Amino acid sequence: MANGKRSHGLSIRSKLLLVAVALLLIPWMGYEYVRGLKTFLLQGQENALSLTARAVSTVLNDRPEFFDPKTGASELIGQPSDLYAFALPNYIRLDGDVRDWGDQINQMSHYDGSRGLECGLDYDPASLSYSTVIGYRGPYLYGLFQVTDDHFLTRNMSLRSLNKSDHLRLIIENPGGRVKRYVLTAAEPGRMSVYLMDKDWNYPLTGEPNYDLDAEITPTSDGYIIELRIPRFMVSSQSRLGFVVADVDDPELRTLEKLLTATKRSDSSEPLSRLLIHSPEIAKILRGLDRPVARIWVLDREQQVRAVVGKLLSEQPQESKPQTWDERLRRWYDGMLHDVYNLIVGGSEADFEDIATDVSHRNDEIFKKAVTGLPQTERRPSLDNRAEILMAANPVWSGDQVLGVVVVEQSSHEVLKNQKQILENIISVTLLVIVIITAALLVFASRLTMRIRRLRNATDLAIDPDGRVRTTHIVQEEDAGDEIGDLSRSVSGMLGRLSQYTRYLEGLPDTLAHELKNPLNVVNSSLDNLQDEIPLTKESKYMTRAKNGITRLGSILTNLTEAANLEEALKGESRERFDLVHLVSSYVEGYQLTHPNRKFELEIRANPLNVEGVQDHIAQMLDKLADNAVDFGEEGSPILVRLDKHNNHARLMIINQGQQLPETMRDRLFDPLVSVGKKNAKQSHLGLGLYVVKLIAEFHAGKVEASNRPGQTGTMFTVSLPLAA
Amino acid sequence: MSRNIAIVEDDTDQRENYADALIANGYNVKTYGNRVDAFAGMKMNLPDLAILDIMLEDEMDGGFDLCRDLRAIAPKLPIIFLTARDTDIDRVSGLRLDAWDYLTKPVNLQFLSVRVTSLFRIVDTLHTQTTELEAILRLGPLQLDPNSMSVRWNNKEINLTLTEFWLVQALAKRPGHVKTYENLMQITRQSYVERNTINGYVRRIRKKFKEADPDFSMIQTVFGVGYRWQPE
Repeated sequence: MANGKRSHGLSIRSKLLLVAVALLLIPWMGYEYVRGLKTFLLQGQENALSLTARAVSTVLNDRPEFFDPKTGASELIGQPSDLYAFALPNYIRLDGDVRDWGDQINQMSHYDGSRGLECGLDYDPASLSYSTVIGYRGPYLYGLFQVTDDHFLTRNMSLRSLNKSDHLRLIIENPGGRVKRYVLTAAEPGRMSVYLMDKDWNYPLTGEPNYDLDAEITPTSDGYIIELRIPRFMVSSQSRLGFVVADVDDPELRTLEKLLTATKRSDSSEPLSRLLIHSPEIAKILRGLDRPVARIWVLDREQQVRAVVGKLLSEQPQESKPQTWDERLRRWYDGMLHDVYNLIVGGSEADFEDIATDVSHRNDEIFKKAVTGLPQTERRPSLDNRAEILMAANPVWSGDQVLGVVVVEQSSHEVLKNQKQILENIISVTLLVIVIITAALLVFASRLTMRIRRLRNATDLAIDPDGRVRTTHIVQEEDAGDEIGDLSRSVSGMLGRLSQYTRYLEGLPDTLAHELKNPLNVVNSSLDNLQDEIPLTKESKYMTRAKNGITRLGSILTNLTEAANLEEALKGESRERFDLVHLVSSYVEGYQLTHPNRKFELEIRANPLNVEGVQDHIAQMLDKLADNAVDFGEEGSPILVRLDKHNNHARLMIINQGQQLPETMRDRLFDPLVSVGKKNAKQSHLGLGLYVVKLIAEFHAGKVEASNRPGQTGTMFTVSLPLAA
Repeated sequence: MSRNIAIVEDDTDQRENYADALIANGYNVKTYGNRVDAFAGMKMNLPDLAILDIMLEDEMDGGFDLCRDLRAIAPKLPIIFLTARDTDIDRVSGLRLDAWDYLTKPVNLQFLSVRVTSLFRIVDTLHTQTTELEAILRLGPLQLDPNSMSVRWNNKEINLTLTEFWLVQALAKRPGHVKTYENLMQITRQSYVERNTINGYVRRIRKKFKEADPDFSMIQTVFGVGYRWQPE
């Protein structure tokens, strides 16, 4: 059959898409590539950091003074602070003479009410301001305060309270949060008394003054100068210091009017700041190494932070609001790309929190290892886990001794930032390639499927359900140069050969009949002449039998050619409208006359039944059906002819009792040269009669089918013809 | 004076059988086996009647070609096609060439003689005004002259073959009377005739009448039985 079964397999399109799944290897490959590249880059950067660490440590080699734990303050370079300690050229004599401060006098910072603790609303900088500088020499820290004060007021010894005169407050916070408050005051210019105070600055904690601290106060034309000396043991490198200048102006009331601080008020209520030693040498060395995206730590053997320079975070450029749609699209795409990138590379954000620069102590594993003398590299997450930080540590040597450790830190984001563009491009291209290839495969597969489907449909239609070749030329894909085109052409060729063969088969009865007629004619005419030649033979029973045989042969040959001739004849027929009931009624009546030994029953269930067609051929069809019913019907049983209307079709049924049709033959019954049932030697059953019926029914756009009578013996032939409009 | 009949048939057995039968009936017979010989011979010595096969040796339409050639030299020569080919196309082709009859094999030789005799009688009637005339049948617009085998409908000449003429004659002789297939088969004077052969004849006859008169409907089908000429 032309409409072959569809097997339930995958379509080509599905299969190709399945194959296209292999394309997912491309992103996987890209992923692996990017990951590999990232590892490579980070390793490269680690090496670079390692080299940097080694370079820095080499610079610091053999300079034990940088790592002397006795140096009270640490060198925190690159960190804003209020208090810097400058190296002094000589020891300072506390005598109000500032000349021994040397050039460091130029390092003085000026403070006025903008940092005032309590200055009141009517603060006038002329009434109170001061300049200060901190220095160090040997075991001492020195402070110089040049105070501008409109009323210099010394302590009235009759008053117990220490805050009833101009004085200096000193706050020292040592590790562990222990805060000591000292008041420096004087009853007259010269040596100042130092008292340890309670936390409200009201009363001294002991009656005894403190003798570790020394200070000298000297009045000047517009105020006074205080020189202060602090022994280093009182402050460690992690201490924080604060200075407050307190002003009392009214000699009678002696109320505390203004407090001016040199240090910022931090989160605690005390105005404290770390004291940083301003070491031009180490600062120069390290500043030279300063870079915007790396941080260099210098630690001593005890992992005390000696110096730190640089930043982990780079400045983020502010992004402008997208304006046009393509900008927005680009932004969106970049954002998406960024997400994909982070997904693949493992997001190292540009913005993260990490260890503050002002810690004094670090005890990461890497330091401990580096202190043993081995260069180290390590990666650690940032404090908030949003970024990965690369670290390289290198020991600083002095002879065979490890003085300290140089650690260089950099965020992996900074490393990958420059490569990000490349990696994102790779991701972009990969995505694009996948999209394009998948689309191309889809289009290709769809087109292929469509072409094959078209060819299949055309092939299906090329042969009708009876196996006749309708067309020998498949137009679809005929001009295609590929295999489908080849297939189309070979199907065409096949159809051509099949059609030739079918034509040969169809023509076979005709050819056969034609070829047989000549020898038959020889026999026949010879017999005719024999009768004339020997008159005796005319009466011979053998002559009669021979003539009978020839008659039957002739009949067979005529039947053989009937179908072929009918097809030819039908082509030229013109249709007319007629009443099938009328035709069948008169036909049955007539047929009954010529076959008086068989009983015909006519059952008309619908009247009239107008159809369009050729009456003669309908009659010819009835001949074949009636002959068939007579031949196969049980002798003596009636033959029922029924007419009714069904689905806008006139339906003619010829029902006879008797033998049933084998189920397997029902479909083939109307094919040429197919015959079933009892063979009657006297009658020829070439199997062309029902073929003629089918040809005529189909010529009338109708159809014919054979069935067994349900539940009874016998067969039923049904012809349906469309009713005329 | 006996008549000269030319038989063109490539099969020797059939050719000789025809010849024997016709000679036995008192005709002079010349036989030919192919188209070229036949045309050459007949050109030299024109017969009174020619019986032609259509397929001659390897020429599919040799008989038709020969007929055409003969028509060029003898427009009035009665020609009978006697062939194994019996498609409508072949019949129409034969009759276009003014063949007098178209018979299919196997042929009954007695019938063939009868036919030949009839044809000669018609030829005689046409050429020499003999006195023994059968009555001309007139039936409404139909005028049927059995002597000259001529049929007229509304005074228009209907060109029928001998067989067709006989069928029309049989039907028109008794209008309203049903001629069964069996009757009609005998009237064709051919050996092996099926119902469908008769249907074919009637179809062709109707067509010819309709060419002269599109409203022609005198020949009625009596389904399952035969045909009849519609009574007035």
